[in-house]
Amino acid sequence: MLDNLTILEASKLIDEKKVSALEITNSYLKKIEDSKKLNCFITVSHDKAVHAAKETDNRVSKNNRIGPMDGIPLAYKDLFCTKDTLTTASSKILSNFIPTYESTVTNNCINKGAITLGKLNCDEFAMGSTNKTSFYGPVVNPWKSLDSDEELVPGGSSGGSAASVAADLCIASIGTDTGGSIRQPASFTGAVGLKPTYGRVSRWGTIAFASSLDQAGPISKTVEDAAILLQTISGHDNKDSTSSQKPNEHYFSNLNSSVKNLKIGIPKEYMSDDLPLEIQNYWNEGKKILSENGAEIIEISLPHTKTALPAYYIIAPAEASSNLSRYDGVKYGLRTNEKNLIKMYESTRSDGFGDEVKRRIMIGTYVLSSGYYDAYYLKAQKIRSLIKKDFDNVFKDVNAILTPATPNTAFAIDKEEKDPVKNYLNDIFTVPINLAGLPAISIPFGLDKKGLPVGMQLITNSFEEQLLLNIAKNIQDSINFKNEPKCWWK
Amino acid sequence: MEFDKNSTIKLAKLARLSVNDNQLNSLEKDLKSILKFIDQLKEINTEDIDPTSNSLDQKLILRDDIAENTLSNEDLLKNVPESELGFFVVPKVIE
Repeated sequence: MLDNLTILEASKLIDEKKVSALEITNSYLKKIEDSKKLNCFITVSHDKAVHAAKETDNRVSKNNRIGPMDGIPLAYKDLFCTKDTLTTASSKILSNFIPTYESTVTNNCINKGAITLGKLNCDEFAMGSTNKTSFYGPVVNPWKSLDSDEELVPGGSSGGSAASVAADLCIASIGTDTGGSIRQPASFTGAVGLKPTYGRVSRWGTIAFASSLDQAGPISKTVEDAAILLQTISGHDNKDSTSSQKPNEHYFSNLNSSVKNLKIGIPKEYMSDDLPLEIQNYWNEGKKILSENGAEIIEISLPHTKTALPAYYIIAPAEASSNLSRYDGVKYGLRTNEKNLIKMYESTRSDGFGDEVKRRIMIGTYVLSSGYYDAYYLKAQKIRSLIKKDFDNVFKDVNAILTPATPNTAFAIDKEEKDPVKNYLNDIFTVPINLAGLPAISIPFGLDKKGLPVGMQLITNSFEEQLLLNIAKNIQDSINFKNEPKCWWK
Repeated sequence: MEFDKNSTIKLAKLARLSVNDNQLNSLEKDLKSILKFIDQLKEINTEDIDPTSNSLDQKLILRDDIAENTLSNEDLLKNVPESELGFFVVPKVIE
């Protein structure tokens, strides 16, 4: 009864007093303990979780349950600061960092009664799309190919957030998405991954990667759960000057899966011969479903799509190099003992950061350095305007856009990619959305011939998460994707 | 200017990273590959285009300029590698 619970199902069980929050929590803690092979968790907050579950049960016994999140076990990407609980960003440089405050996102969940199971592994400082850059080792995808026993990547950077949901080590999780870091791993693991509009969710207390792109969001088993979680974590926050003042919406109670008379755009630039045939087929199936359900499918053009990845690989490293300058061995984190201050900085940072983080810091330093700023950083910001304008133009004609979430399905952890640029291509369908600040969701569509999940992406205009969730629910209900990975890891 | 070994050394210095000779070669190769990738943008005409620094259509919302006690000295120093008398301690900078 306690397997593969959604938030809605668990909430009902708690409400009807069929199961206590403590029983559900203990069942998840046991599963986490039995699933170490997947390497999803960096920290398991056993005592915190049990304590919070008892508090929920206490409220339930007095008929004082706070709402649907009360007693729901969640886990968070290790990028969210959690008070008195180790928070590492999967980096050696923060491997001893215990925040004295709670991030707004986790605080919002805790205030609604959610239970913190622990902190999830990810790419170091969220830089990567394989989860292989983590100081704590790669997360293993619970899915395997039908024809091979090799371990696969869960995608990244929120690899632990996606794999833990797919393997049912938590009911749902929270990740962050700077260039696809929620949607790509959700797609690789058959989960639902939502990146909200930039500004919808407060970034306060979330370890910064690229501040103009970072946005937290849920990874869940269903669209309904994504709606409940978005409602839980979003809203204006005085502590984040880019947090939107738009009122929080009741995404779950307002869910309406009708797509009648909606116009759905299909961007021709996202189609290429390199796109695997099975992904093309699922894309076509998506068009068919939406059209059969009453939507109109329209071909659209986003002419600057090709410029998004190179622009992203200027803007994101530039902001990262600036954000990561705070790791200097003085105020917190790792320090290497040296007698000279500059040497102390250099050896602390060289010892504390992994290779991908160092590459991005150096690229960021380069594009921001005197003489290159206009040619790279300013240029990329101008390109960003062109990309945003492309989307503004098409949203005059369509309500939403349908694309594949990724150009591939999960691949082997052992696959070595020598050229960093090749790895960057994993995010080709997701990066433009971050540059334009739009909301987007990745939903599981089916399996490829190797038996691995394929995800599709829906995109709407800024702050139209309700419409996004409505269309996603329509697709979810039409497809009825129920595949769960075969358990090999216990 | 051609990006070479010296550029890599200079960048590492600016970024406060120490790089040994072994790492230097592979780093130079990686950075060259990334720079080639981002250099594609040079072909795009961006004359008369305003830059976008973030996608929000709203002004940054600032809080009132009132001092607040957010983190105590004790909390601030909880994760410090070395402290003395409530201050951060760094290696000697003045001889």
